[in-house]
Amino acid sequence: MTTDAPRLRPPHHRVDRRAIRWWTTRSLAVTVVLTAIPLVPAIIWEPPRAWFLLATAVVGGVGLLITVLMPQWRYRVHRWEVTDTAVYTSSGWIWQEWRVAPMSRIQTVDTARGPLQRMFGLSSVTVTTASAAGPIEIAGLDHVRATEVAEQLTETTQATPGDAT
Amino acid sequence: MSTPDEHRQPLGEGGPALPNEPEGLTAGGSPLPPPAGGADAHDPVGADGPEAGNTPGAGTAATEDDGWRRLHPLSVWASTLVAGAFLVPGAIVATVVLVIAGQPLWALAPVPGALAFLALMTYLDLLRLRATRYRVTVERMEVRSGIIAKSYRSIPRERVRSVDVAAPLYARVFGLCSVTVGTGEQVGAGSEQLQLLYVTAEQGEWLRRELLHRGASRTAGATAAGEDPAPGDDGGIEVELARLDRRWFAFAPVTTATVGVGLGVIATLLGANAQSNGAPWRWISDRANLPSGEEMASFVVGQILLVAPLTLLGLLVSGVLVVTAVAVETWWDYRLTREADGTVRLRRGLLTSVSLSVEGRRLNGVTLYEPFLLRSAGGADVRAVATGLGAADDQKASAKSRLSPAMPRELARGLAADLMRTQDSPLDVPLAPHPRAALRRRLTRAGYATVLALVLAGVLAWLHTLASEAWWEAAHEVEEYIMPVPLTVRAVESAPGWGWAVVAVLLGAAAFWYAVGSYRGLGHGLHPRYLVVRRGMAVRRTVTLERAAVIGWRITRSPFQRRLGLADVAATTAAGEGMYAAADVGLGEGLAWADEAVPELLEPFLVRGGGGPAGGPGVPDPR
Repeated sequence: MTTDAPRLRPPHHRVDRRAIRWWTTRSLAVTVVLTAIPLVPAIIWEPPRAWFLLATAVVGGVGLLITVLMPQWRYRVHRWEVTDTAVYTSSGWIWQEWRVAPMSRIQTVDTARGPLQRMFGLSSVTVTTASAAGPIEIAGLDHVRATEVAEQLTETTQATPGDAT
Repeated sequence: MSTPDEHRQPLGEGGPALPNEPEGLTAGGSPLPPPAGGADAHDPVGADGPEAGNTPGAGTAATEDDGWRRLHPLSVWASTLVAGAFLVPGAIVATVVLVIAGQPLWALAPVPGALAFLALMTYLDLLRLRATRYRVTVERMEVRSGIIAKSYRSIPRERVRSVDVAAPLYARVFGLCSVTVGTGEQVGAGSEQLQLLYVTAEQGEWLRRELLHRGASRTAGATAAGEDPAPGDDGGIEVELARLDRRWFAFAPVTTATVGVGLGVIATLLGANAQSNGAPWRWISDRANLPSGEEMASFVVGQILLVAPLTLLGLLVSGVLVVTAVAVETWWDYRLTREADGTVRLRRGLLTSVSLSVEGRRLNGVTLYEPFLLRSAGGADVRAVATGLGAADDQKASAKSRLSPAMPRELARGLAADLMRTQDSPLDVPLAPHPRAALRRRLTRAGYATVLALVLAGVLAWLHTLASEAWWEAAHEVEEYIMPVPLTVRAVESAPGWGWAVVAVLLGAAAFWYAVGSYRGLGHGLHPRYLVVRRGMAVRRTVTLERAAVIGWRITRSPFQRRLGLADVAATTAAGEGMYAAADVGLGEGLAWADEAVPELLEPFLVRGGGGPAGGPGVPDPR
C-alpha cells in the first residue's frame, strides 16, 4: 500500500462528442433565464437601474464563463464503462465523482432523453441500485448506443444472481 | 431482481408453522401489480360482504383463512379520544375566556363547534376504517384503503425488513396498537411503508411474527456465503442482548438539549410576548404588582453575581427535568432481544410502548453514536444500520434506528459487538488516521471562520462607535416593549468596543479546537466481516457496515481534495443512510481500503504503481 498506492484509472469510454453542444445549450438556456431575472426590473424601473444592470452583468458574465468552460471540462471528465461484473462511471467538473456498482446489485436500468437531449440525438442511461446514494447516470450517450448499453446491462444483470440489496 | 427461492431450508425447532408454501413462488419479487384478487380487485368495500363480519379482531385465527381483514372498530374511538382530549379542553377554555371577555353569545359557539367537528372526524374515520382492508397471503402483504381515492398497496413478504408495533397510551387503553411494515424499497416515498392504524395487540404481535418469520426461513441460504455460522444463538430461545439499567438515565441530560430546552421555552415565551406587543407581560406585571422593567433591570445588574448563577441553575434544572422525563418515557422497560429466528427485537416505552423488530440479516451493521457532551461523560448509544428502517424524513429515520438509550461507552460497545455476532468486535479494530492534509483542510476552514468572525467584530465595533445616543435610546425603547427585563441593549451599550474582538477571538479559538477534534475523529478500518468508518466532532459516529452489504462505491473529490491528494470514499448500501464515507482519506489509501473491503469490485478499475495514466493518450488522469 505504501509503495504502490492504487489510483483510479479513467473508465474506457467517453460520452458522445455532441454532449458538449448539449451541455453548452443547457447552460446557455439557464444563463439566459437567470440573466433575465435582474434584467426585467432594470428595464422597467428607472431609479435602481444601475444596480440591476450590475446584477445582470455579473450573472450574465458568470453564466457565460460557465457556458464556455464547463462543457469542455465535463467532456474531459465524463466517462463510462460497463464490464461483465460492474458499471463504472466518472462525472462532474469542478466537483468530480466516480461511481462503481456491481451487476449483481443493479435494480433497474432506464434510458431517458429530455427534449434538449433529443435535439442532439442523445440519451441518458440511469442505473439504479438499492442505495439511497442515488442512481448512477451516464448522460450524453448517442441514442442508439444508449439503447445498446441499456440492453447489455439488462441482460448481464438478469444473468447475474443476487437480490439487489 | 430476486433469486428464485431455491435455498430454502426447513428451520429447526422453533421454526414457524407456516401454511404450505409453494416453492419458487417468490421468483421475480419486484413490485409488480398484484395477482388479480378475484372479486376483491374492483371494489374493496363492496366485496367484503361475507368476510367482513369475519372476526375482525381475532388475531389467532388469522393463519387459517387468507381473507381480507379489517382494522379494529375501536380504533375510531381511540382517534376520537385523542382529538377530544385536545379539542374539548380547548373549547372549554375558549368558552371561559369569551365569557370573561364579555361575549356571552360567542361563548356558546366553541363547545358545540368542537363536538360537531369531533363527530365529523369520527364519521370520516369510520369511513376510513370501513374502507381499509389488509391481507397477508403466502406471498405478499396487501392493504387497500381510501374513501374517495382508493389505493391498493402490496409488498412481497420477502421484502419485509422490519415491523414496528407501537401502542400509544390512547390506543393501549383499548388494547390496540399500530403496525408499520418497512421494506427495503427506495422507490417513491409513499411505497416504502405500510401502516395499519389500529389493530388488536394480539394481531399486531401475530403480524410481527408472521411477517418476519418468512424472511428468516430464507436467512440460511442467503447468508451462507458469510462466514458466520452463529449456531449458538439459534438455540430456539430468545437471547437478551440488553435490558434497561435505571442508572443509565443519568446520561440522559448530558446533551446540549438540556440547556436548550430552558432557553427554548424562554425564547418561545418572549417571542409570543413580543408578537402580542408585550401585552401579556404587562397584564401579569399589573396583576402581580411587579416593579417596572427598569427597576427590575437595575436590580438584576446590582445583584448580577446572585442572579446570573441562579438563572443558569434554573435553566439547567428545568432542562434536566424535561430531558430526563422524555428519556424515561422513551426508554422505560427497554429490552433488546434476539429471537430464535435471528430477528432483533426492541421493546421500550412508558406511555407509548414500542416494539420494533428487524430481520436479523437486514441488520447490516451498527453505529456507535457519541454526541460531544455524552462522549465527554463516557457515554454512547447504539443505532442500527439496517435496511427497511426508513421513515418519511431523516430525523425520524435516525430516531427509529436507535437500539439503545445513552449508556456507558463500554457497555454500548459490548452491545454493538453482540448485535454483530462477532467475537472480536469490529469497533475494536484499530482505525487508520487520515492524512495530515485532512487536518490542514480543517485548520484552513477554521482560519476562514476566524477571519470572518474578526471582520464581523470589526464592523460591529465600528458601528458601536458610530451609534449615537438617540440610536441606543430607540433600541432600548423597542426592547422595553417586548422584553420583561430589558437588559440586553444596556449591556451592549456599556460594553467596550473591543468586547466584540474578544468574542471573535474566542470563536476563533473554538473553531481551531473543533478542527483538531474533527480531524482526530476521522478514521477507517477493516474487520474480517465489517468495514468501519468514523467521523465527526459535534457528533462522533463510528459506523460498522457488513462488507457483504456494500453495493457499490462512490468516490468524490472537490478541487481542494484533488490538490491535497484526498478523497471521500463512500460505500453505498441499501441499509441505513444509504452511504457511509471515509471522509478526507488519502486517495490511494482509501482506494486500497475499499478494494480490500470488497474484493474484485474495484480491482478492475485501479492502476497501481507510479506509472502514467493507463488509459492511453488524451486521457485525463483523475489524480
